[in-house]
Amino acid sequence: MTTARLGKPVGKPLPFSDTRHLEAHQFLVDEAYLLDAQHYDAWLDTLTDDIRYLMPVRVTTALGAGFDTSPGMAHFDEDKYSLSRRVARFATEHAWTEDPPSRMRHFVTNVRTFACEDDAHLAVESAELLYRSRGDVNEAALVSCGRQDVLRRCADQWKLARRTILVDESVLRMQNLAVFL
Amino acid sequence: MADQRSVLDNVRRGMIPAHIYNDRELFELEKERLFSRAWLFVAHESEIPQDGDYVVRRALDDSFIITRDANGDIRAMFNMCLHRGMQVCRAELGNASNFRCPYHGWTYRNDGRLTGLPFHREAYGGDDGFQKGGQSLLPAPNLASYNGLIFVNMDPNAQPLEDYLGDFRFYLDFYTKQSRGGLEVHGPQRWRIKANWKIGAENFAGDMYHTPHTHASIVEIGLFREPKAQKRKDGATYWAQCGGGTTYKLPPGNFDERMRYVGYPDEMTDRVKGVWTKQQQQLVGEDGFMISAASCFPNLSFVHNWPKVLDGADDTNVLPFISIRLWQPISENETEVCSWFAVDSAAPPDYKKNSYKAYLMCFGSTGMFEQDDVENWVSLTNTAGGSMARRLLLNSRMGLLGDDRPVVEPLPPAAFHGPGYAQVGYNENNQRALLRLWADHLELPPVSATATALGTAR
Repeated sequence: MTTARLGKPVGKPLPFSDTRHLEAHQFLVDEAYLLDAQHYDAWLDTLTDDIRYLMPVRVTTALGAGFDTSPGMAHFDEDKYSLSRRVARFATEHAWTEDPPSRMRHFVTNVRTFACEDDAHLAVESAELLYRSRGDVNEAALVSCGRQDVLRRCADQWKLARRTILVDESVLRMQNLAVFL
Repeated sequence: MADQRSVLDNVRRGMIPAHIYNDRELFELEKERLFSRAWLFVAHESEIPQDGDYVVRRALDDSFIITRDANGDIRAMFNMCLHRGMQVCRAELGNASNFRCPYHGWTYRNDGRLTGLPFHREAYGGDDGFQKGGQSLLPAPNLASYNGLIFVNMDPNAQPLEDYLGDFRFYLDFYTKQSRGGLEVHGPQRWRIKANWKIGAENFAGDMYHTPHTHASIVEIGLFREPKAQKRKDGATYWAQCGGGTTYKLPPGNFDERMRYVGYPDEMTDRVKGVWTKQQQQLVGEDGFMISAASCFPNLSFVHNWPKVLDGADDTNVLPFISIRLWQPISENETEVCSWFAVDSAAPPDYKKNSYKAYLMCFGSTGMFEQDDVENWVSLTNTAGGSMARRLLLNSRMGLLGDDRPVVEPLPPAAFHGPGYAQVGYNENNQRALLRLWADHLELPPVSATATALGTAR
């Protein structure tokens, strides 16, 4: 299976009553819990070994320009190894940016699930709003984004195999992305 | 400001009034006297490689369209229609032969010339009322490039860029000229931090002291082996005219071996040898110093590190990356960080790919180094905004004894082949040098600006 075809949605969104949609939705809600609670080791286990986790830099371009992401630049462009380094860092006692930890809430909505050409994958779209509050002086920060995911059926659970995060701002109003979306 | 004199005097002796990191009056003064005459980085030429390519960049509060016009010349034009002041370009990058104002349809070539003015004859009586020929979007008062780095200056009488950069060009070349083709630059990532712009500039200029502690986690997870306290202290810092930076001391070896140690493939080292001077090669090959972070006054910084980015047991499998970053002031307590990934344009594709990965893991909006830096700087800025900060002079005299003699003697030219003042060991020489330039600028008179009246005979 080529990367380009992996997770290509087929047809209309699945009915909300479809078991596959319910499972995909539950995956995202369970994931949001892990990210809010910063249970990153458990989160890492929900990713396939060939995960590609991408968050392009969005840019303002003229209508008709044909692109709205920065050529050759992303915020995240990760594989399992680089994500595992990020998670390992939080386990040290010297990741100051999250010590004290942020108070976070990942709100996930607008979930649409699509079947793929093969039964092993589902394409899932969602909207996400991250609220992140640190300390008591500065206002909390928000990140709004859309996500395009590919879930893969692995033994007894779904795992995330691809994620593309389309952030809605060209200039982030958050001091860093020491968080996952 | 009543106590300005004492603020600047304290800064010059290395005692920093803490409120300078969050002070509205000082920020106004910086805009009036410093940013009005310093060379400000806006883009790299490789961001606009084709005729008609443009990016829109700000220099403080001013929006400029940076274009490569039909003749291949680089232009910087104030992004304001001559008629009613609308932005003529509201995208941040693209390719265009013309910019048409959305308000009344005035049209400009990508070199700034006014070419279209609807109903010129009916509305103005033709050239009698508004002389259309020879009109152009206002150019930046001054524009110049070095190794593809494009700078603007608000002062038409500013010192030429090459003179301004002066001896610091020796060090800029390490980051920006690794082959005849020069850099290719991607980005920037842009994000806002609630921190004063000077803090990042000072940190990159010379804060080798923070690395072992702030970035302890980076060593612990095996990403970058160098910042251990003992190794960091063996590096040299240098200051040369308008900028300075930090270096790491490399293990014994010749030029080729030391370039290999930080991860340069031999073919890149060969190209480097064709463009770096003998002295630049001696700094690495004989003196054993490799550039790391640096700042160019006022708000442009660079970083060059060599982390381990590929999975596997071999700890020597490291690879360098280069980042260019701008600390764009928004206010006295907010900065927009613009962070580019840069790589030699002639580098092999695999190198480019892995160097990009190294950049993303270490610096930028998601970088693991940068995350901890910004946490510190935001906290510092918050605390500097109150009245207690006005009663505290921060000691920035590291490296100096009470009578201003250095703790460690400077390196002689035979041990450090670069220009400027260099020494080994922990010190805050460069932060003081940067803030001395800052203080000198705040004492200069405001730059006078003349207004241009358009279209009328008088």
